Amino acid sequence: MCSACGFPPAVGHWTDAGGATPHERLKIRFARVNLINKLLKPLGLTATDAGTSPGIQLSNGMGKTIICPTIEDVWMQVEIFTGKSYDPLKEN
Amino acid sequence: MSDSQNRLKLIILSGFLGSGKSTWLRHQLYAESFYKPHIIVNEVASQAVDDTLLHSAQALDVLQGGCVCCELKSQMIELLHSICNKRTRKLSEDSGGLLIFEMSGVADPSNVMFAINDDPILARHIVLEKIIVVVDGLHGIEQIKSEPLARSQIEAADQILISKAENCSEQDLSRLVATLKYMNPNENITQSLFGVESSLPELKPVAPIMLNKREAAENLLPITSIDLNLDDLSLIADTWVGFSVWLSALLNLHGDQIVRIKGIVRTPNGRLLLQSVRKVMQNPERIPDELHNTLDVGENKVVLIGRDLDEIEISGSLKKVLNDI
Repeated sequence: MCSACGFPPAVGHWTDAGGATPHERLKIRFARVNLINKLLKPLGLTATDAGTSPGIQLSNGMGKTIICPTIEDVWMQVEIFTGKSYDPLKEN
Repeated sequence: MSDSQNRLKLIILSGFLGSGKSTWLRHQLYAESFYKPHIIVNEVASQAVDDTLLHSAQALDVLQGGCVCCELKSQMIELLHSICNKRTRKLSEDSGGLLIFEMSGVADPSNVMFAINDDPILARHIVLEKIIVVVDGLHGIEQIKSEPLARSQIEAADQILISKAENCSEQDLSRLVATLKYMNPNENITQSLFGVESSLPELKPVAPIMLNKREAAENLLPITSIDLNLDDLSLIADTWVGFSVWLSALLNLHGDQIVRIKGIVRTPNGRLLLQSVRKVMQNPERIPDELHNTLDVGENKVVLIGRDLDEIEISGSLKKVLNDI
């Protein structure tokens, strides 16, 4: 279990498979959170990845922050925070 | 992520009741088409018959008296655990690394994939090689018309095998093939003549049958296949971050429209084979550079198969995300 977030270690999410070394994996995590931020900016949400703990933290800009263990949870949390879904096929 | 060599390869053999799954498998075993496969047979009837026909298998387990989708699900998971455990501890003799799962005629193959992917241990041990679906040459059309389940099986197939083709008129066969191609754009359709597999003869193009309108409206839409070429869409060398973020968002909202995804993407970790059955993505498998891939998909090309998908809209949105990085 991660001492920072309390989540038990899970099977890696498929989106985590891109890096072979810890260095590359970390690079991918930061690039990913940057991209999520760009996509979610119109919805007023920000994502952060501490790098040292698993998961992505999603904040709604009004004081609420939730730890999302995988990127799938990020998309689901977007719906909870904003009441609408992030649709990659539409201008959000 | 483990290399493909280390994981147990799974071939799912599906097809409607009486379509000829066991006959085909029996012939494959006789012809030694597979190297030392471990076979699991699921029968709905409580009295198993098929297992006696398959005695030449290296190892055989039978799950009988129900369907692995529902009432036998926990027994199936238990069995797969024990197979994986024995294999890891090298207790079993078979080292072929291939598992052939003959499903009952009333099971949806994607449910088995859901169950395996849901289990954190099995997901690490088992990798889906392909789903073979046997379609009855004589009754296939009737089954497609009346049984939604027969349609789900066909839609999930990587390879379709038309059985009893020797008893089919050329016209019936053309109609069946046209209907199958309408439902599943996969070109991999072969026929089986007296259990021996062969490619289809030259067929006259005919119109597919009209599918039953009692089905929900969304099921009437044909399944289409979209080819995404990541090299054409992106200017950057590593497209993995953009592609995986985009695909996870697409699956989250539009996953129900997607029946199958397969493709190979170049990442810093080498070539990754991506496969999903319905919206469940398998753990990607690394394909060593020296190996030619077994799928007929080139590098950085991904095929999306599903309903009501618009190619321009989808590739446009991916391009936009890739260029946002």
